[in-house]
Amino acid sequence: MEERIAAFCEKVFQPILQPVFLPIDRLLNKIPTDPWATVCAIALFITAMLVVGVVMKESYVNQGRTKKVWYTDLRLWTVVCMLPHVLVYFYFR
Amino acid sequence: MDAIEPYVSLHFIDYAIVVVYMIGSLVLGTYCAKYVGNADDFFLAGRALPFWAIGFSIVVSDIGATDFVAVAGAAYRNGISAANFDWMGSMPAMVIAAFLFVPYFWRSGVFTIPEFLGRRYNGAVQFINGVIWVFVQFVMLAVMLWITADKLMYTILGWNPYYTLWIVTLITGFYTFGGGLTAVVFTDVVQLIVMYVGGLGLLALCLWEVGGIGALHDRIIAMGPQYQDHFTLLLPNDTVGPFPWTGIVFGLALVMAVAYMSGNQLIVQRTLGARTEWDAKAGMLFGGLLKVFIPLMVAVPGLCAILLLTEPLDSADRAVPELIRIYMPAGLRGLMFAALFAALMSHISATLNSVTTIAVTDVVGLIRKWSGAAPFTEKTALIVGRILTVFFVFSTALSAEALGNADQIYVFIQTVLSLFQGPVLAILLLGILWRRATGWGGLAGLVLGVISCFILNYTPGLFPSEDPFLFVAWWSFIFALVVTVVVSLLTKPESDDKVRGLVWGSVVKDPNAQAALQERVS
Repeated sequence: MEERIAAFCEKVFQPILQPVFLPIDRLLNKIPTDPWATVCAIALFITAMLVVGVVMKESYVNQGRTKKVWYTDLRLWTVVCMLPHVLVYFYFR
Repeated sequence: MDAIEPYVSLHFIDYAIVVVYMIGSLVLGTYCAKYVGNADDFFLAGRALPFWAIGFSIVVSDIGATDFVAVAGAAYRNGISAANFDWMGSMPAMVIAAFLFVPYFWRSGVFTIPEFLGRRYNGAVQFINGVIWVFVQFVMLAVMLWITADKLMYTILGWNPYYTLWIVTLITGFYTFGGGLTAVVFTDVVQLIVMYVGGLGLLALCLWEVGGIGALHDRIIAMGPQYQDHFTLLLPNDTVGPFPWTGIVFGLALVMAVAYMSGNQLIVQRTLGARTEWDAKAGMLFGGLLKVFIPLMVAVPGLCAILLLTEPLDSADRAVPELIRIYMPAGLRGLMFAALFAALMSHISATLNSVTTIAVTDVVGLIRKWSGAAPFTEKTALIVGRILTVFFVFSTALSAEALGNADQIYVFIQTVLSLFQGPVLAILLLGILWRRATGWGGLAGLVLGVISCFILNYTPGLFPSEDPFLFVAWWSFIFALVVTVVVSLLTKPESDDKVRGLVWGSVVKDPNAQAALQERVS
């Protein structure tokens, strides 16, 4: 069954889709993995931290908080949760 | 070095630890039944869960017993890149889920994600999404049950797989039947602690034997060119294996992981049961922090096995069983197997509870609505939920062997799981962020998006990777996004009353919308 679906897709869709995806693959292959893979990964973590910590309103981030003390601030939690990941991707680059 | 033996032997103390763990889980789960009085208690733990219980439960529900063996095997074979699914594939997605999706789901007071899609779009979207999740989770559970009973416990310990399967399923099914989500979450807390003690014990023993993480790195790199990438997380785009960096960053981190953490009932149900919106968000973040340690417990032992096991293995998945057999003393072995059972049981209970919730709310409930019958009362919904729990317990256990042994079905289910997540994420995202998205747009995006997934997955020669599901997820997400936008613009906009309190602008800026929403929920 699976082989028949693959044969059908190869015959019908490959001629249409290959000219779209192959140039994209070639373009991505030209991007050097070192350092761009690590840069993109770490940028993703830092962007998430900045969006929660700076862009979003404090009232929205901490909506529903009953104890208003520094250690219940979810902006701080976001940074604490993200930092180990940044270190991991820096170490295993 | 010991020669490879067929089975790992357990001592009396090991059996005692496993039995005490099983009885403890059963007693704790059954005790929680006294807090269940209606459907809200059964499906959402009475919306009273604290953040720490949510965080523990999310992590332990996500990890199955097979992860301990399969991820270690993948790390033994391919290196640390196998850990991307728990690092890159978790934390960014959990932050997005916590601050973008969870507040909306929690505020709208829904039981399930398909129900949210039904309110935002229409009943057809809700029904299709509900049926997909029930089918996929049912088959995934059956497959995981058989793989754990046969490929794990029988292969490692020589235990009869039927006994393992029925004992574990009946114990877990019994406390899930009685205690609902409360039982699931509080047994999860204990199960995570058991899992961490067993997993970190194995990690500490392995690192002690190889001389620490620095020695592990240096000794593996020195073994030759085939091991040079074993400590690299992000591999080149033209890697033949399934984890090129472009797929990891775009397909996994931005689509599959976000869809999994935001659109998977198994994960989101815990946050819907939170006592406050803050607990829902904090539970997600806390779960993300706990997940940092999972690859250390499951992938690093696989790397250590490269140095510690000098006898060639017939399968990479034998790496962890061999480490347990050779290096773990009596007592710790029992704890490690209790950890494996904990991982399996938490996954079973979480799946049973989430499948039942979707089946009652989005499949049976919707069919009743369409046939003109009155909606379920709280009490009837609870009874139907419990009947369906019993049905799923027996049907998954009975079909486990047939489904678990059929490789094609396993591949099919893995494919489906990775395939429909892109389109679901697209309509969820547009439903929340774009007021103009319409019911027809959502339906077209979901249906055509899933079809596009199959086409991209089965058409050869489109992507460099031999297993291109990460790229399929990304491009199907983009395609579904475009289809939903185009069809929405071509169809009549939804009324203000319908979308009030369900899209970003009205939730954040309009206090009247919140009041209307509260009224609707109550």
